[in-house]
Amino acid sequence: MRRVGIIAAGESKFGARVGMEYEELFVEAFLEAMGQVDNLESKDIQEAFVGSLAFGGSQLGNMSALVVDSVNLIGIPASRVENACGSSGYALRYAIMSIASGINDIVIAGGVEKMQDISKATRLYWFGVAGDIKWERLSGMTFPGNYALMATRHMKEFGTKKEALSSVAVKNHDFASRNPKAQFQRKITLEQAMNAPIVAYPLNIYDCCPITDGASCVILCDLEIAKKYTDTPIEIVGFGAGTDHLALYQRESITRIDAAVKASKMAFKMANLQPKDIEVAEVHDCFTIAEILAYEDIGFCKKGDGGKMILDGETTIHGRIPVNTGGGLKAKGHPIGATGTAQIYEIFKQLRGEHENQVHDATIGLTHNVGGTGSACTVTILRRV
Amino acid sequence: MAHVSIPKYWKALPQKYRLVAGKCSNCGELNFPPTTLCKKCGQENTQKHIELKGKGTVYTYTIIGRGGAPPEFAKMQKKCGPYAIAIVELEEGLKINVQLTDCDPFKDVNIGMKVSAVFRRIYEQENVIRYGLKFRPIIE
Repeated sequence: MRRVGIIAAGESKFGARVGMEYEELFVEAFLEAMGQVDNLESKDIQEAFVGSLAFGGSQLGNMSALVVDSVNLIGIPASRVENACGSSGYALRYAIMSIASGINDIVIAGGVEKMQDISKATRLYWFGVAGDIKWERLSGMTFPGNYALMATRHMKEFGTKKEALSSVAVKNHDFASRNPKAQFQRKITLEQAMNAPIVAYPLNIYDCCPITDGASCVILCDLEIAKKYTDTPIEIVGFGAGTDHLALYQRESITRIDAAVKASKMAFKMANLQPKDIEVAEVHDCFTIAEILAYEDIGFCKKGDGGKMILDGETTIHGRIPVNTGGGLKAKGHPIGATGTAQIYEIFKQLRGEHENQVHDATIGLTHNVGGTGSACTVTILRRV
Repeated sequence: MAHVSIPKYWKALPQKYRLVAGKCSNCGELNFPPTTLCKKCGQENTQKHIELKGKGTVYTYTIIGRGGAPPEFAKMQKKCGPYAIAIVELEEGLKINVQLTDCDPFKDVNIGMKVSAVFRRIYEQENVIRYGLKFRPIIE
């Protein structure tokens, strides 16, 4: 297997990008990435993997052609990868595999989602498409509702407090307040986070990620030739993935996400590293409870101690493992299909020492990207070369 | 709307009306709904259909706040307000996802609460009222 490096990463501004189309958002991300490399032309890119749910259904078929056309890459093999909120994490996985296997030398992986400019009814419909429809959805269940079920049980089994959930939101808003690309560039107080209107008890509006337009991409290449394009490539030293039952009620446990546990183990084994070696991480905090589950599933803390970990401040900038320094899905925003590679964008910047919320001298980072309510997950470990 | 066509809903009526599960004659596992391959042992076409009793306890729950219901439940929520959804652990040992009814979601519902199935109108689509089971507290 060949070693794989990331030579560039780009991201559009996240938020309500009213009037912007998929392809325009992707161009923004692409141009930022291309601006970071020397001696690389569009024509050197051999294949594209694009993550998207095609939220709202506006370009449900053959989106990859639309996207590669927008950045003048038409002609190369391209495909849309769909695993709900885990789409671009999986797009990245296939991009890595195509280089590791020797089939390609330089590829692009990314994602794009357009969630604004859509009626409320259409939006509510699309929020439910990634869950089990026949049983969960048709009991009146919603997407936040599923994570709420996990939260209620976690609180019961481990004594996790609402304050812990809200503290995740406070931390991620704080990080986002210094990220010029974040959807919410403002801090919130614990009191605000605790007392907001209920969406799906015990989750309130501040426990939920926003509705976001955005795109992200990374350019990967065979590590052997990476220095030709940049002095500071970042190596992908481990990558894992997993799946679980689509419906929550069918799973063995709902206080952990097994797909994430499996993906983490696979990634750590490949990297020959342990959770304690990680210095900075971006985890999938679509809801605040999801970040707490991520700490436990990845192995940053013991099962059940996720609430304690946030309350002890271990994941703030001064903590043991700063988490979601870009603001997370919660405050930076969650353009579904773009999130996986948007997480890589943050870690890439951290490991090159270019981040707004820089973790001092970080050399090893991790991303954790979950699809649906945990039915698919990818974990990627990156290291400064 | 989450679209489940009339033929598809019709096919699921044994589960929606009577909680018909598939008990594997090879390993004893209960599959709900019944499957071609047993979820536990993987054997093909070994499941005998049995009716679950429709009694159990609340394993976990949530309350869907005002305005948060999916489109097919918006009308119901407008009329009745927030409603509770639970994963119920049935007496037979398996879990299902259901809507709770005949209770105040904020005051009455808790983990461990005993509930039983009741036949109710679930929602309407394609001009057909879809009936099925909700669960309500057992008053002892």
